[in-house]
Amino acid sequence: MKYTPRRITENVNISKTSPLREFFTLLLGILAFLVGVYFLLGLAVNLIAPRISTGLEDRLASLFTAYYAAEEAESPVQAHLQALLDDLAAAADQHNRSYQVHVIVDPMVNAVALPGGHIVLYSGLLDQVRSENEVAMILGHELGHFANRDHLKGLGRGLVLVALSAAILGVDSKASQMLQSLLVTTEMRFSRKQELLADAWGLELLVRKYGHAGGATDFFRRVHEKERGKRFAYLFATHPYPEKRVRSLEMFIRERQIPVDETVPFSR
Amino acid sequence: MVELAILIGLIAVGYFAGSAAERHHYRSIAEREEAFLHLPAITFKSSETLGDVAESRLVTGCAVISVDYFKRILAGLRALVGGRVKSYESLIDRARREAVLRMKEADPTADIIVNTRIETSSISKGPTNRESVGTIEALAYGTAIHLKKQGT
Repeated sequence: MKYTPRRITENVNISKTSPLREFFTLLLGILAFLVGVYFLLGLAVNLIAPRISTGLEDRLASLFTAYYAAEEAESPVQAHLQALLDDLAAAADQHNRSYQVHVIVDPMVNAVALPGGHIVLYSGLLDQVRSENEVAMILGHELGHFANRDHLKGLGRGLVLVALSAAILGVDSKASQMLQSLLVTTEMRFSRKQELLADAWGLELLVRKYGHAGGATDFFRRVHEKERGKRFAYLFATHPYPEKRVRSLEMFIRERQIPVDETVPFSR
Repeated sequence: MVELAILIGLIAVGYFAGSAAERHHYRSIAEREEAFLHLPAITFKSSETLGDVAESRLVTGCAVISVDYFKRILAGLRALVGGRVKSYESLIDRARREAVLRMKEADPTADIIVNTRIETSSISKGPTNRESVGTIEALAYGTAIHLKKQGT
């Protein structure tokens, strides 16, 4: 038997496909699947959220309100805000529960509606406001989230996201961590539509309390001036462009011919 | 956001460094396989048909190849849906061919290597998936035969 040496010309043991293409196909496919499941569960949450009783909501809320209570800064401004909030809630006929306002010392310009009727204002936001009407508008906006039960929807979606990544992907693998962080960065707490609806509710309460719409857009306009040129920051933002909000509020005021009057200064 | 950037950075480093290393390795494998074409490594067990044996000895060649970050992520994604783990195929292929080459290099003047066997194992397993370094070892071994030269 004669041995004839041959060089390997064609390697049958390795696939000739592009690994990059495989990577992106797999990544996008899995992401699309997860986004689909997330979307469906999100719809389910939207159906369930309005049916959650206030008692259950309070029990859910007790899980994390202790954290805010500890962070809270005692201040006279809080009593002022609480009185304002009570007025607005009374004007809104949102009597089914009590609402508490919390002030947290943090440079963030933001306000959050949390389950259990808790509204958290960051001191960064309070530094920006000039009139009481602006604060009333912001508090009214958060009350709008409560009226629409957006806060429960947000919480529900957050839970869905955590449950999804833990159940399907496991906690340990690098690949799952990547998917998780991708999903978290694109997840928005409230949709822009929800924010605009809450704005409309805030405006309604503002008008009920003061009899005019003065100060409704001042805060958003000021934020807009500051944020000009930082469009990228809004790519993943939870709130619509301030510009858009101002425009839709102004349109609303014009259509319903609401008078605009002098604002009451807000002192801290 | 920062974590995501780090992850993407690691994957990019893994992809570019990993494919450069693989290209380089395959070039070296091809050149050395060419140079060793005169030394066959076969799987026959017996050397009776070869002629008179002057000397025989055990030769081994061993190669350890590590996975790169990109391949590992790709395999992780693949593990979610199932199918051929294509990203690991080239690792195993390189390890086996490198091991056979090293086995030949262990006795370059031999006439033939018979009873060649290749074993593969994955080494450096950590306590968890995360702490392990995805690495495979290929071990090639066989019997190197030196034949009695004609006319001596």
